[in-house]
Amino acid sequence: MLNSAATDVSAANGGTEATAAGPPMLAVRGLTVEFAAMAGAAVTAVRDFDLTIQPGEIFGLVGESGAGKTTLARALLRLPPEPGRIAAGEIRLAGRNLMELNETEMQRLRGRDLSMIVPNPRAELNPLLTVGEQIATMTRVHLRVPSREARRMALDMLRAVQIPDPERRMGAFPHEMSGGMAQRIVIAIALICSPKFIVSDDATSGLDVTVQAQILELLRRLVLDRGSAMLFITRDIGITAHFCDRVAVMYDGEVMELAAREDFFFRPRHPYTVMLMAAFSHNQRLRRMWSRPEALPGAAEPAGACRYVARCPLAQDRCRAEHPALRELALGHFARCHFPVRP
Amino acid sequence: MTPLLEVRQLTKRFPIAGSRSVVQAVNGISFTLAPGETLGLVGESGSGKTTVGRCILGLTDISDGSIAFNGADLSLTRRQKPASLRGQVQIVFQEPADALDPRMRIGAAVEEPLLALGTPRDERRARAAEAVGFVGLDHRVLRLYPAELSAGQQQRVGIARAMITRPKLLVLDEPTSALDPTARADIIELLVRLQKQFGTAYLFISHDLSTVRFISHRVAVMYLGMIVEQGDAAAVFAQPRHPYSVGLLSSVLLPNPHLRRASSISLSGEIPSPINLPSGCYLASRCPFAADACRARVPPAEELGGGHLVHCIRHEDVAQTERTADTFDRFQEEAERILSVGAPAPA
Repeated sequence: MLNSAATDVSAANGGTEATAAGPPMLAVRGLTVEFAAMAGAAVTAVRDFDLTIQPGEIFGLVGESGAGKTTLARALLRLPPEPGRIAAGEIRLAGRNLMELNETEMQRLRGRDLSMIVPNPRAELNPLLTVGEQIATMTRVHLRVPSREARRMALDMLRAVQIPDPERRMGAFPHEMSGGMAQRIVIAIALICSPKFIVSDDATSGLDVTVQAQILELLRRLVLDRGSAMLFITRDIGITAHFCDRVAVMYDGEVMELAAREDFFFRPRHPYTVMLMAAFSHNQRLRRMWSRPEALPGAAEPAGACRYVARCPLAQDRCRAEHPALRELALGHFARCHFPVRP
Repeated sequence: MTPLLEVRQLTKRFPIAGSRSVVQAVNGISFTLAPGETLGLVGESGSGKTTVGRCILGLTDISDGSIAFNGADLSLTRRQKPASLRGQVQIVFQEPADALDPRMRIGAAVEEPLLALGTPRDERRARAAEAVGFVGLDHRVLRLYPAELSAGQQQRVGIARAMITRPKLLVLDEPTSALDPTARADIIELLVRLQKQFGTAYLFISHDLSTVRFISHRVAVMYLGMIVEQGDAAAVFAQPRHPYSVGLLSSVLLPNPHLRRASSISLSGEIPSPINLPSGCYLASRCPFAADACRARVPPAEELGGGHLVHCIRHEDVAQTERTADTFDRFQEEAERILSVGAPAPA
């Protein structure tokens, strides 16, 4: 079985070294997103976040609910969920600093150079417009192509996302489509302008597994064919094992571990990563070993401690006193831990 | 052993208002469930698995067939059913937050099933405190409201509420799909423990195959209202004989980059509409094995030994192309090896 991963991407794609001389497709430095609180200090949903993604790379970001995944995804488009705001940091798309652009420039960029795929496709599409019209609008607005050309491109795109009977489907409304079909339309809208970078936020979570497998395959091919790059955010660590070149795990607004796929899954270094994987294995002994009883709400760790200290079975005094930095423990393998697993 | 639950040729059709069409949600399925056993009912959305659960509970009337529970007929209407059946079959819903009244304290919600049994108030209180204890919650949660609990804790409350009547059968309709992985593993562990303790039989409805593999003794794979294959969980997962089961299993993405069921069978397209189903095998439009005979009539069940039933006339050809794969067992072994390194000393 070990050699049976016929559909898997080659791990050689991963690695942190730049594959070309050009700038990375996406470079995020020190991104911090805060939500003002009614009383007291602001809540920080994404803290001091660094991320570099190369052209042609599919980067997986895993996290449980509340980790800050969606806030991060939206912040990359400079649309953090209300009332959040980007408090610090820079986002560079193919070298261009997005934080220096004004809103008009951002609007021009979104959908053309930087796209987002969201879950729940049927809620995202306009129920009053045909799907053909919705796809064609993207190219008309962003690429300024004439209507006839826009329609032709939309039709090509419908073929690319493997919608059966595309000519007829051009005139269909979103309610006439199944969930998997609607998800393909959302992907078509996100990809038609051949964006440099695509953020996928839990894009396949509502789909059935056989459909999910088809959509993932399609997404990977489209991203690679167009020389784009993608951040694939998900709750399902299993998808990242088969679909992403590099994988990171997020906890409480921070990256806890980041590595090339094989390193991440075969040599996990952060106790949180190990605990998550143990949960997926349903192995009771491993789960006992790597979890601590759920902390009582309100029993917050002291400021400046490791964010994971309350749940960590390896925690020591230093973890309560000093917030660990994300350190490179082996080539391209990073963990935010004073006492990583497999030292 | 006489089965606890025996479902025979269960059929459920929903008429569509203003039309002669019907939604053929469940199309003549049969299965049994022994006391203390877990049957995993798997399938994609629209396959009819939730409808089966609702029919067993009497929440939905059946169109045809029979459901026998301990010899009693469960398909009767509520008034016709003997009072002794009350509380014997319970359900746990998918969305724990939606299944609890936001304005009802946890204590009231948990003891509510006992009202139908006429249990006196003091006993209800005591049993509710006991029930939340069984699911690993502190008795102080009884005074809280659902919004004050995490999703995992809410689902524990859902289980406590179902278990308070000491049912013999629990229908679990996607009980973990709304939960994070750690909460999901906790709930599964809890269900396994409760089953050992009380001998409750579970009908575990889910589309999460790795969880089903872990918790189920037997599995039944549903497609468009039919059980296309059923049998011992280990056997069906290692040697699926229906093309749909094969396609479903090879779509499972386990968190191990090297482990995925290799398969030459890939299902194209999506599950068709359950309105006006074609004659013949429902999978024929998506199946690489489909032949003319498949479209002629619905394939009958064939027994492959050990209670392994498959509805496919070409199951021998499937067996020839599909190798036996112990992917799920391998995953468990690998996880044990990888995740044991650097473990903390036991406290």
